[in-house]
Amino acid sequence: MVQIIKQTIQKLSLPEITFADVRITRTDNEGIFFQNGFLRGYSTNLDSIALGIRVLINGCWGFAGTRDLSSSSIDKAIHTAISNAHFGSLFQKTKVEFPPLSPVQAEYEHHPEQDPFKMAKEEKIDYLQRLAEAIKPQEKIVHSIIYAAFMRQEKYYANSEGTYAHYTFYNTLPMMSVLASDGAQVQSRTWPGHMGAGRAGFEIFHKHKFEENTERIIKEATDLLSAPTIEEDKADIIIGSGHLALQLHESVGHATEADRIFGMEISYAGKTFIKPEMIGSFQYASPVVNIFSDSTDPRGMGYHPVDDEGVPGKKVDIIKNGILVNQQTSRQIAPLLGLEPSSNMRASYGDDFPLVRMTNFCLAPGKGTLDELIQDTEHGYLLDFTKTWSIDDNRNNFQFTTEIGYKIENGKIMGIVKEPTYFGITKEFWNSCDRVCGPEEWDYQSTFNCGKGEPGQAMQLSHGVAPARFRNINVRVKI
Amino acid sequence: MENLEYLKSLLDIHPELQYEIIEQYWTTDFLRFYHSQTNYNISKETTTLSATIYKGKKSFNFMLDNATSEKIDNAVHNALTIIDKLPEDPYFVDLENDKTLAKPREVKNNIEAIPLKLKTEILSRIAQAVAPHNFDIFGSFVCNHQKYRLINSNGLDKTSVNSPYYLEVKAVHNKSQVTVIEAFGGEDFQYFQEQNFIEHLLQKIGYCFNDIVDIEPGTYDVILAPRCLGEFAQYLTYGMHARSLDQHSSFFEGKLNQKVFPEWISICDDPDDPEIIHKDYGSNGHIYRYLSLVDNGIFRNFMCDNYYSHKTGLPKNGNTGSCLKIEAGDKTLDEMIGSVKHGLFISSLHYMNFINPKETSITGLTRDGTFLIENGKITKVVNNLRFTEKVARIFEHIQALENRSHPVPFSGNYEIFDIETVKSPHALVRDFNISSSTKTI
Repeated sequence: MVQIIKQTIQKLSLPEITFADVRITRTDNEGIFFQNGFLRGYSTNLDSIALGIRVLINGCWGFAGTRDLSSSSIDKAIHTAISNAHFGSLFQKTKVEFPPLSPVQAEYEHHPEQDPFKMAKEEKIDYLQRLAEAIKPQEKIVHSIIYAAFMRQEKYYANSEGTYAHYTFYNTLPMMSVLASDGAQVQSRTWPGHMGAGRAGFEIFHKHKFEENTERIIKEATDLLSAPTIEEDKADIIIGSGHLALQLHESVGHATEADRIFGMEISYAGKTFIKPEMIGSFQYASPVVNIFSDSTDPRGMGYHPVDDEGVPGKKVDIIKNGILVNQQTSRQIAPLLGLEPSSNMRASYGDDFPLVRMTNFCLAPGKGTLDELIQDTEHGYLLDFTKTWSIDDNRNNFQFTTEIGYKIENGKIMGIVKEPTYFGITKEFWNSCDRVCGPEEWDYQSTFNCGKGEPGQAMQLSHGVAPARFRNINVRVKI
Repeated sequence: MENLEYLKSLLDIHPELQYEIIEQYWTTDFLRFYHSQTNYNISKETTTLSATIYKGKKSFNFMLDNATSEKIDNAVHNALTIIDKLPEDPYFVDLENDKTLAKPREVKNNIEAIPLKLKTEILSRIAQAVAPHNFDIFGSFVCNHQKYRLINSNGLDKTSVNSPYYLEVKAVHNKSQVTVIEAFGGEDFQYFQEQNFIEHLLQKIGYCFNDIVDIEPGTYDVILAPRCLGEFAQYLTYGMHARSLDQHSSFFEGKLNQKVFPEWISICDDPDDPEIIHKDYGSNGHIYRYLSLVDNGIFRNFMCDNYYSHKTGLPKNGNTGSCLKIEAGDKTLDEMIGSVKHGLFISSLHYMNFINPKETSITGLTRDGTFLIENGKITKVVNNLRFTEKVARIFEHIQALENRSHPVPFSGNYEIFDIETVKSPHALVRDFNISSSTKTI
């Protein structure tokens, strides 16, 4: 593979090419799916190899991807990428500027505690079957799922500036869910929620204490059937880490992807309410809020030694004491904003075009435990476990429903509410944050499914968060 | 297709096995543009071989990208090593046995028929047409070419080729950011009328120079553009799948052959409509045929594949809702707009998600042009709005449908970029629930 990538980049050393890069991924995927206690699917896609070639010619990008690494296929991809750039430049007003970078060499290998691809398949099945059996339909539970997805990816990157990187990582997505019905309505509970993935192997099931939580989700889903809804118009809410990660993802993470400022994602993912002149002065959040992008932390799924256009991993403050100070950028976009590239260009597979993506996008910890924060709340709700999410084209108006809410009265949990739904405007919401829990509550939450770009790419990324409190939030939505 | 045959030969040695093998070749030419210029051009191709192997009620699936005989040998060896040790799925009965073949049809490769040079020329002309109004164009111009062959141990052997194209243009005002959308897609590029496309875009741009206003949350009479009604229909069909019924999440549970909507609502899955991107085969290779879903307001059929047919007892049809069509009504668009005293015209939707799929409750937003209608005329631009609604209630509240249906292309954007069409008229819906404003365009 090293030889192939080096030979390919060598072939791209042509006078007409201003910049070229090549990435190759070798990926193993495995998925195991139990439904209602029975194995419904066990699937693998092993040793999937993909190669992508990106060239900048006459100020225009051209790209070609293939999963065939024969020499004739690579030559064809080179020719197609060059041709795509030439023809693309026929419809162009402004040439892409791409400031050079010094070359970097990088190697990294991640070792999970329990390599899911080396474990015996029977061991994985036995463990998951026990979980599936524990949550299979019973009493009010009418449907249940156990799901595990394992991914190992080895990535090679080389560019025409001499940068070369090679690294390997494992990501795992564990999930269980139950659906309760009383005949008239249904309510669901999942564990550990939609952001439960992580840079890990099979050990993540034990970290999330699946076995200890089967009874909990069965009870909570059942209890939700007879639970009340929130009646107030506005309330103080504490958002648990499982859901706060998504709030951060949608209303800050995507909003600060700078390709959106320039309309590069209007056709699909959307724009952002952020304008270039806001950087450095815009009061995005209250002063207790600090948010950063950190591709240098190997604990998160957004870690990389260099990004997919040769920028070394970086930790960059995005919001400092509530003020918007930076953006997630690429080498093309950063100079347009007077910024340094933030190491956020990523492609899901070798044959995908790199885009500005979140890496480890984190809310910095504040102080205190979740218990202390609940005790400090006179009246409100603790909301967790995402059920529904939606945010507008400009990342300004969001509405979320969580699976469950825990009612807080005088600093104590006093029952549950079903389908708690809240909505708001991004700036007002983040400025209403008055406390973020401390390092003891801070951890990574991760997803396998952040969609962006066309053709679509599902990115795996992480959010470091601790529970936080938001004051006087709209919590009543008429349906 | 040599790999498929090789894999078949390895599996045929084991008479105790059942199997389904699919080989799929997919290639795309994808031009993405912004600010009236190329953003990037992507060409990609993949060949995938996948197999699901059954031994009794036990099964194992593998997929291989760019398969070789060595990779196939390894995958089969791994599958046969593990399959006896897997738990059973008691609901698996048999593989698909419908051997009906689709009518042969000629499919032109649109990657060759619409080369990149032609795409850039068309886009240049569209960009020039909107530029005098201070608008730039953003969007994508895509051509796919896909080949698919499915065989199984019941003797199915089905091949399908399609080559859809998809042009979506958003015209965005350089100062106000007011946006309008025009899209066209299908299989035969001769249906694409460039001048009509530009005229429709310019007509919509004509609405964009009015004042921009916000509106209060509440219920409004709305005109839904075909793209919106089509998208709501796609969400509605979630509950029309036998799988949803089996999972106790279907709105249509207990409603078969009952009146669910007004009698002027008819929805079908129609692969034979010439303006809809054709589908030869549905789930597991079943022939894809016309299926009535809602007939004059009465819910008629669940979409049901082989597995769920065995499990639920519903008739098997293999439909997936990929060729949805909402029948036209009897009003012109002007008549419908003219009948609205104070309401909204909604061009496009964004980021919808179910709150509770069984109840069809949903939230989402308007996008790409929301307009105020006052006394029967479009008078102002409205900031994008959030709605929180029940999809079933939207269809219950349809007052009138336009007298023609329009094909609207939609992109399925995960894994491979697939293109489908929904055919839908404009609809007048009363009491549509706007729950908040985004305060932005």
